[in-house]
Amino acid sequence: METNYEEFEEDGEIELPSEPMRLNMGPSHPAMHGTIRMVLDLDGESILDVDIQPGYLHRGFEKSCERGTWNQVFPYVDRLNYVSPMLNNVGFSLAVEKLAGLEVPARGTWYRMILGELARISDHLTCNGASAMELGAFTPFLWCIKTRDYVWDILEQETGARLTHSFGRIGGMAKPPTDTFKEHTLAVLPQVEETIAETEKILIRNRIFMDRMQGVGRLRPERALALGVTGPVLRSTGVDYDVRKANPYMFYKDVDFDIPVGHDGDNYDRFIVRFEEIRQSIRIIRQCVEKMPDAGPTSIDDYRYMFPPKDEVYATIEATIAHFKIVMEGVKVPPGEVYSFTEAGNGELGFYIVSDGSGTPYRVRARPPSFLNLQACREMLVGDMIPDIIPTFGSINMIGGECDR
Amino acid sequence: MSKKIIDRLEAQFGDRVLAKSGFRGDDEAIVAPKDWREVALFLRDDPALELNHFIDMTATDYPMREGLPRFDVLLFVRSQTKNHRVRIKARVAEGESLPTLYEVWAGALWSEREIFDMFGVPFEGHPDLRRILLYPEFEGHPLRKDYPIARTQPLVEYRDVEGIDKLPPFGPDMGMPWTRVDWAERMEGGDLQVSPDIGTQQHQRLALSRGLEYLPTGEPGEAEEKPSGE
Amino acid sequence: MPTFKLDGVEIPYEPGDTIIRAAWKHNVEIPHYCWHPGLSVAGNCRMCLVEVKSARPIALPVVAWDEKKKEFVPATKTKLTPACATEITEGMEVMQKSEAVVTAQRAVQEYLLLNHPVDCPICDQAGECKLQDYWLAHQKRLKRKHTEIVHRSKTVRFGPTIVYDAERCISCTRCIRFCDEVVGDHVLDMRERGNKNEIFVSPGRELDHDYTMMTEHVCPVGALTTKDFRFKARVWFLRSAPSVCTGCATGCNSWIDYDPRYQRVYRLRPRDNEQVNKFWMCDDGMMSYKRFHEDRILIGRARQEGRVVEVPRKDALEGTARLLKATRKLALVLSAQASNEDNFVALRLVRKLAEQTGASTQLYLAALGGWKGDNILRNADNNPNRAGALAVAGHTALAPLTDLVRAVDAKEIDAILSLGWAAAEGVDELASLASIPHANLSSNIGPLTQVATLVVPVATVAESNGSFTNAKGMTQPFKKAIAAPMGITSAWETLIALAGSLGLDLSMKQLSEVRGALATHAAPTTAGGTLAPAE
Repeated sequence: METNYEEFEEDGEIELPSEPMRLNMGPSHPAMHGTIRMVLDLDGESILDVDIQPGYLHRGFEKSCERGTWNQVFPYVDRLNYVSPMLNNVGFSLAVEKLAGLEVPARGTWYRMILGELARISDHLTCNGASAMELGAFTPFLWCIKTRDYVWDILEQETGARLTHSFGRIGGMAKPPTDTFKEHTLAVLPQVEETIAETEKILIRNRIFMDRMQGVGRLRPERALALGVTGPVLRSTGVDYDVRKANPYMFYKDVDFDIPVGHDGDNYDRFIVRFEEIRQSIRIIRQCVEKMPDAGPTSIDDYRYMFPPKDEVYATIEATIAHFKIVMEGVKVPPGEVYSFTEAGNGELGFYIVSDGSGTPYRVRARPPSFLNLQACREMLVGDMIPDIIPTFGSINMIGGECDR
Repeated sequence: MSKKIIDRLEAQFGDRVLAKSGFRGDDEAIVAPKDWREVALFLRDDPALELNHFIDMTATDYPMREGLPRFDVLLFVRSQTKNHRVRIKARVAEGESLPTLYEVWAGALWSEREIFDMFGVPFEGHPDLRRILLYPEFEGHPLRKDYPIARTQPLVEYRDVEGIDKLPPFGPDMGMPWTRVDWAERMEGGDLQVSPDIGTQQHQRLALSRGLEYLPTGEPGEAEEKPSGE
Repeated sequence: MPTFKLDGVEIPYEPGDTIIRAAWKHNVEIPHYCWHPGLSVAGNCRMCLVEVKSARPIALPVVAWDEKKKEFVPATKTKLTPACATEITEGMEVMQKSEAVVTAQRAVQEYLLLNHPVDCPICDQAGECKLQDYWLAHQKRLKRKHTEIVHRSKTVRFGPTIVYDAERCISCTRCIRFCDEVVGDHVLDMRERGNKNEIFVSPGRELDHDYTMMTEHVCPVGALTTKDFRFKARVWFLRSAPSVCTGCATGCNSWIDYDPRYQRVYRLRPRDNEQVNKFWMCDDGMMSYKRFHEDRILIGRARQEGRVVEVPRKDALEGTARLLKATRKLALVLSAQASNEDNFVALRLVRKLAEQTGASTQLYLAALGGWKGDNILRNADNNPNRAGALAVAGHTALAPLTDLVRAVDAKEIDAILSLGWAAAEGVDELASLASIPHANLSSNIGPLTQVATLVVPVATVAESNGSFTNAKGMTQPFKKAIAAPMGITSAWETLIALAGSLGLDLSMKQLSEVRGALATHAAPTTAGGTLAPAE
């Protein structure tokens, strides 16, 4: 007997009867960058509900911070958002400096801004490159990663490490900039510009790319605010919240830059916003390089907080004592509690720190932008289909280290 | 930064604002747990405040402080329209709960789960108060000060996930994936899965379909149970 | 009580107090090097300079650089007074945070570090050094003089225990004053002036009195170090537990400094107690920690067919239980080296046993024979707890070990349970104690363990909780610092477990229960006071 498909037909599509099915995606799934588990309730391929379960990368960051000295937190914050560790370093330094009431010399602040923006470039390049790759466009990924390595070359030259720099210190940076820092930075920037121009050329008017990205994973601005979303994900919905403009820290009020915003809040907008932010970062870096003085201190000279220069440590008793006190007992941060927040790669990275006056932090809370962005992922996914998980999850740029801590 | 939030809050709630501070420019007000939800609603809905952007919720444990409850639960919110922010704190004793703010700001859903996970502070009316970063069998709340940092957790028993028929391929097996041959056992005729004499097709299918949990090692059809982790 | 003001805070004082002493009594620290609460005032370090408000301040004429005129112009500065040498008068207002004082403190500290060697990494004082603490608190800045420092002699042997480093010395004279005033032995003095100033030992002498290690303890910097502790441990790894010295009947309060990683004691330090030892301890007392790790008994011993063999602790305990069950005429040897808790639980166990089996019991006391006493701290009785042991026994007199030997020879005793290793008598004199079943609970090897047929290892003072009653009748608790190795427990815990295996109900298990029973123990102490220590 021939089946009469007419009775199933609705709006020209055949709607097959189905019953909801539960599917487990992750924690180890080839299309999930980051170990995360999604328990999907499906109707055919449509997502009825999703239970996102983070925590597979939980390493007890906040607990670990409560047993070392303040300076020993820096290696831990490196491993929060490990794609842009310099932003975390700077963020934590600023938090402790806020609590202790310290002010870093101008040269050090410009230096921090340049390094931070370089880290932001590397973060966005990684995210957008990976987004493209997960949709099958492998070439842009290679371009982005290649360019990211150029950026990391600068960071390596400055800090000695490509990824986990541990370069921040309370009251400055571990070392002053190298002699060729400015030239090196300025030489890399055109390459970044070229890469994003080429990547945009190959992708943003690409039919496949547009079909996979446009209108997928949409988030409304009111919901985004209520869900605590920040960073490029929030800006893609049209909300112009950027800590660098809203609550300028360091010297961000002295440099010109714009906040790129989207208007649909979908994956496509997030992709565009990220590339546009790279352009703004390049703009900021160029201004910073111009304004950063070539001589002068980069760190404070209060050696109760800042490590004294090494040659002094080996030669004079005062510096030896200072070094000894900082290493063995830790920096005595005055008692109190502050919340300090900066714009990291994924949004507002806040540090709520409590000190009891001893050399060890009483509490270090990192407000992880990824964690709250990931929470909004449920709203983005419900109603979409299984293949849409990949670009959506990619475009919120969940970094496991930061989300799970 | 924006002292006016605290002033507005004081004008509305009077001495129900227990304390306030502006240390290093961070405006903070402390309220009682019973006013928690009411204050939150006021912060969100008052036209002069419009704190519509949820930022964070966290807690701090002070087990040694005298005369005050043990936990500080903190709420950070900001306003996108007015660009100001505030920190609200409630002091909660051990075992005491706070009303959930899930309906005020949807973002509180996970943050409250995390506070419950890490500190064991429950939230009344929370629709989904599970652990979030840790697993359900975890014992204790690690961010409490009395949780030793070096404590190890007991081994978790194999867990059957309700509603998911397909079991993940890890469980109390013989200590190795099913395709590998335990030659020592096989030479004694023990590795039934690949032994052509004893391991029938039927048993192999059983082993495949059930993961390795009930892989027979004794008499055909009999399952030998082994505790996990050995 | 009259009061004076220090930085605006009212602080009471007793007439005659100096500013620094009144502040010290109320836990306010005025920075100081040369002042010590137990020594006379020298006033030579100048670190404790403070400003005293006065209607007619003394102003010193100085010259100051005038930036506008580009020349030095006459100016005045406030005269400061040393807080250690200024007696308080009623209503005095003292400031130690004023600008003049802060400048002076910084200058004094900078001066003291002027010729200080870069020794922190190899200095035993690092981590508990006043120079380090005050640099952080008062100087806060790096060196301004970048020339080679003036070098002086290092590693000077002062005596069998002390090594001196002149470069680190800040010439506070605390060590000289300690020897003069507390010991009464003018063996140290100072010579030369300025850069060459240093401490030296009297010609023809060595620093060899009974309190030499105290000179290291009073030294605020790393100039004096003890040969015993030198290069052994870094102090920031050490933890401290309050304890009581086991050296003699004075019962000096001490800190046991131990490394929790290795569960090992590295030194004893005096713990300030105005009523017992003030701030001091003697050399022998400070070295008594050696016994915590040397000559230890960590495994049970049994005498089988004339030979001593090692047996598991469990077997030794079972043997002791069999011995107690079988005996009809038991001798219990309490120890003047054991804590009140040990002696008390042993006595309680034997009494209960006697009720159960009807065995007769005789009480004896083992004690060391005494050493050289003096009028400072050392008691001629070198047992920490003779008073406590006598008090535990109460009305029953404790016979000496020589009586026990006689009784054993006369077959009046058929088994012995003894506590501790210590005995004044030699092994030869006690040899006949080994002729009958003799169980001994001991932490170290000693005469008593040599003549036992069964030895159960127990914990040392550092490894157990307990209390000693000193010659004055004061009962002082000591706390467990390190964990005893190999499952060993303290004697009283071992005895409670033993009672359990014998089916005896002592109705106490925890330390608090033992202490509670001790407090109600009817026997009056020989020297007055109570047997249960105040926590």
